[in-house]
Amino acid sequence: MSTHGHSDKFVYHEPGLQHQFSDMEQQEESVSIGMWMFLAQEIMFFGGLFTAYLVFRSKYPMAFAAGSNHLDAFWGGLNTIVLIVSSLTMALTVYYAQKGNRNLQMLFIVLTMIFGATFLGVKAIEYNDKFHHGLVPIAGLNKRERGTAGAEQHPEGKPCWEVAEHGSEHEYVNPKGEFEWADCSLAKMAQDEGYLTTAEKTGYFANGELDGNKFRDKVRIFYYLYFVMTGLHALHMIIGLGLMAWLLWTAYRGYYNADYYMPVEMSGLYWHFVDIVWIFLFPLLYLLGRHFTHGGH
Amino acid sequence: MAKHDPEYDHEHIAIPGYLGVFAVLIVGTILTYFVATIDLDWIFPGANTLVALLIAFTKMACVMLFFMHVRWSPRLIWLAVAASFFWLAIMFAYVMQDYLTRATGVFTQ
Repeated sequence: MSTHGHSDKFVYHEPGLQHQFSDMEQQEESVSIGMWMFLAQEIMFFGGLFTAYLVFRSKYPMAFAAGSNHLDAFWGGLNTIVLIVSSLTMALTVYYAQKGNRNLQMLFIVLTMIFGATFLGVKAIEYNDKFHHGLVPIAGLNKRERGTAGAEQHPEGKPCWEVAEHGSEHEYVNPKGEFEWADCSLAKMAQDEGYLTTAEKTGYFANGELDGNKFRDKVRIFYYLYFVMTGLHALHMIIGLGLMAWLLWTAYRGYYNADYYMPVEMSGLYWHFVDIVWIFLFPLLYLLGRHFTHGGH
Repeated sequence: MAKHDPEYDHEHIAIPGYLGVFAVLIVGTILTYFVATIDLDWIFPGANTLVALLIAFTKMACVMLFFMHVRWSPRLIWLAVAASFFWLAIMFAYVMQDYLTRATGVFTQ
């Protein structure tokens, strides 16, 4: 007897087939297209932030380059590698799910989770560094106590373009936890070489002089975008870790086999998507002004 | 009866293939880093960004085609992927044709 009750003939029912689909192939295609529709809206979700980045970077390229140079490309690059390794382990998770190998599938889920957690740990180190250097763009969220700092705070009596990046350390006072930025040498360089954008010619200057405070406010836009983009990405990583924990539990309970593994494959799509976002965030946030400081200027 | 139709084979590229894609992604990351330290502005201003984006798009294509199995997916999935980027392009194009053509001092500061 059929379990559906609408046929007297025996109908083979694959264990993973849900009743609204006629066969496994149709089910897999429907599930895939649903997941890709979700990813399409995720692309638009991040796309709004990339659009904001595009608009402000095209207006204030030098402030973005200056802000970017203060991010640590070592940590950013390390995290890129960590995420790529996690994408490989995720691809192998799906591969072993397709093979119906439960133990290797679980091993690679655990490895994926370890690399995902490593990524978040590195992110925490970076955010902590920004907190200590007065680079969190929201006033009050930076470290308030006294300490020492390099170029973030403006030494008295020096024009902003002579504040060397990573210059001599001096006493650090930030009682209100404000966003701090002193070095406007990249704006000076662009002014001298004549390639300031129209927006920069008004946006960095007060009374015809380069103004450290106006430049700082444009660098601050970069840091707003840095925190929102990497923060939203980190949130996706946390959700991804939740998905992996659920996959590990269901794999342990033996939900998946060589004929039914779509939840594994769909979680893999999500994980790879988050990896792709980082593939773009890394060069756009960490590397965009590096050639000004390393490339013979 | 399990379905093991060779026409509907899910194995795709197996482990050597995945490792190959992985190698391309790692090389791309290292390349991105080193190209970013070389000043390419002598070609045209912003050449560094263009090169960085070309590498990023190549890496993205590798992840999508092989890790995300788009290469072996039905045409409908290809359409969904293409439509995503088309919508993104519409957003970029219309926002930028606005911001890039604004007269200075009218809406900008």
